[in-house]
Amino acid sequence: MTGTAETKPAARHTARRGFFSAEGRQLSSGGVLLLMAPFLALMAVAFLWPLFSLLSLSVLEPQPTLENYERIVSNPVYARVLVRTLLIALMVTLLCLAMAFPVALLMVRSKGPKSVLITACVVLPFWSSVLVRTAAWAILLQRHGLINQGLQAVGITDQPIQLLYTRVAVIIAMAHVLLPFMVLPIYGALRNIPTDYSRAAAILGAGSFRTFRDVIFPLALPGVTSGTLLVFLTALGYFITPALLGSPQEMMIATLISQQISGTLDWPFAAALVSVLAIFATLIALIFSRVMNFNRLMGGGS
Amino acid sequence: MTRTPTNGAAISIQGLRKTFGSAVAVDDVSLDIKNGEFLALLGPSGSGKSTVLMSVAGFEFPSAGRIEIDGADCTRTAPSRRNIGMVFQNYTLFPHMSVIDNVAFPLKMRRVSKRERRARAIEALATVRLDAYGDRMPGQLSGGQQQRVALARAIVYRPRVLLMDEPLSALDKNLREEMQIEIKHLHQKLGMTVLFVTHDQSEALTMADRVAILKDGRVQQVASARDLYQRPTNLFSAGFIGEMNFIPVTHEPGVAILPDGTKWALPENAAVSPVPSGPAMLAVRPESLSPVSGKKGERCLDAVVQEAVYTGASTLIIARLSDGTELRSQVASATLEHIEAGDLISFDVPADSLLIYPRDDA
Repeated sequence: MTGTAETKPAARHTARRGFFSAEGRQLSSGGVLLLMAPFLALMAVAFLWPLFSLLSLSVLEPQPTLENYERIVSNPVYARVLVRTLLIALMVTLLCLAMAFPVALLMVRSKGPKSVLITACVVLPFWSSVLVRTAAWAILLQRHGLINQGLQAVGITDQPIQLLYTRVAVIIAMAHVLLPFMVLPIYGALRNIPTDYSRAAAILGAGSFRTFRDVIFPLALPGVTSGTLLVFLTALGYFITPALLGSPQEMMIATLISQQISGTLDWPFAAALVSVLAIFATLIALIFSRVMNFNRLMGGGS
Repeated sequence: MTRTPTNGAAISIQGLRKTFGSAVAVDDVSLDIKNGEFLALLGPSGSGKSTVLMSVAGFEFPSAGRIEIDGADCTRTAPSRRNIGMVFQNYTLFPHMSVIDNVAFPLKMRRVSKRERRARAIEALATVRLDAYGDRMPGQLSGGQQQRVALARAIVYRPRVLLMDEPLSALDKNLREEMQIEIKHLHQKLGMTVLFVTHDQSEALTMADRVAILKDGRVQQVASARDLYQRPTNLFSAGFIGEMNFIPVTHEPGVAILPDGTKWALPENAAVSPVPSGPAMLAVRPESLSPVSGKKGERCLDAVVQEAVYTGASTLIIARLSDGTELRSQVASATLEHIEAGDLISFDVPADSLLIYPRDDA
């Protein structure tokens, strides 16, 4: 309850200076800070503080040391887990992108009940938990599951093939779970493109493919960028799906971390793994936003 | 007809009809646009003028009818294969391409070499006096500049037909008038056929060789600006273009009986199309009514002044006849004595300014 006691005098202070800046057009910086306060407080308490204490654990326990990081670098097993994680995340992202773009395009172009139906199909999975969706895939992919039966019925294979507990299973199920995070940003970007742009392109001589390649896709790139980033970063730290559907020999980094925490109880080492993952995620996000800075390229002001 | 050799294409619209569900947007519209002609489609919103344009562009396929460009049927040809230029209301420059890339875009689609593309794009930008702006992004230009770039993009591949969908409505008044003259000059220089949609009648009269007036999906009249203003063919055209005074009368062959019983002999050309005997509308332009004092002419209207609005060079007198019909008169301010509300006033009506229409076709 100390939080409220602290913000009260601050609130009175900003109220005296005015919630709005002198010109009255924008919120004053104090006003902005006040509105952001609940969010910032939550981030500080629930995210930054635990992260910081975990990271300090990796270099301070039992005495100040870099030994945990040495272990990650020196043992090739950990590098392999990290590379595998990056690779699976990349595959999931590409699969999502390939599946999401046509869906988003269809959502934008359809009207009335059809568009409601498609939107419902995209958003509905959010209503069931990830665990349920992963379990559903386990049932579908098992030895005598629907997919194996289907493959045998069609005659592609004679006997059941190993689908469950493979990398393929992990990629498919993760792509399914993360798909809405790709569809929605792309849908948003496509929706913001006025229909007159495709008309203008058409009358200027562009067929539907050139219109898509030269006009629609470049204008949808901000949505593609944010969708890609969302899916990729989420996939990097994904836990439930790889743990349930993946092969124990093909661990992803999140599973490894949980093993260190609950299995071997080696918290400092788990913390070191977390920090490595965090560094990778941050780096990738930075590089991506730098390379894909299309908003600035478009020259603003319009 | 001292125009430079025209390279415009003739457009023929035959019996065009377009329905959206049960609503009829365009109903049996036929228009023949000569090669190199500048035709404006003028009408209130919902009159179907945009639908006609979209059908010529190929964005709407008509429910019935035919569209021919230079004799070739293109009713159902894809827009990208019609080789016509179009300028939209909202500029529609691609925001991710520089100005010069925007202008070169249609050439790129036509597989013109990169070097020629650039040269022709610069040339097209020069015709709209924006050749120095090629490397900017569209978002860095003003609205008027963006629309000029859009114009350059629409003419760079020298289409024989140029469609314009209210291209000036997003600009402010001064810029709009400047652009009207600029587009008119461009048309005279390049000689393509222009089909121009607008709801602004002064824009249509200023720019077009002929104006087609649409109402409720039907063509009311197609005529030159002068004919349209001086001899509108029906009551709607008469009221839509410019200001018009309407006086309800009873028509008998060669005679109009005014509300107060006065009989006026009508000149032969007062009826643009035959008017049956019975209720009719007498129409006269405000600038044809001039106040007279003392000696009254052959045709005279006595009224009570409601208001005199001084607008600089001219003064608008709003007056009322004894039966309540409102009259507006536009008079040069310099010739006018002091007038105020409540004064009695007499207007002289020249015989050749009278037009008469059947009353029931409004």
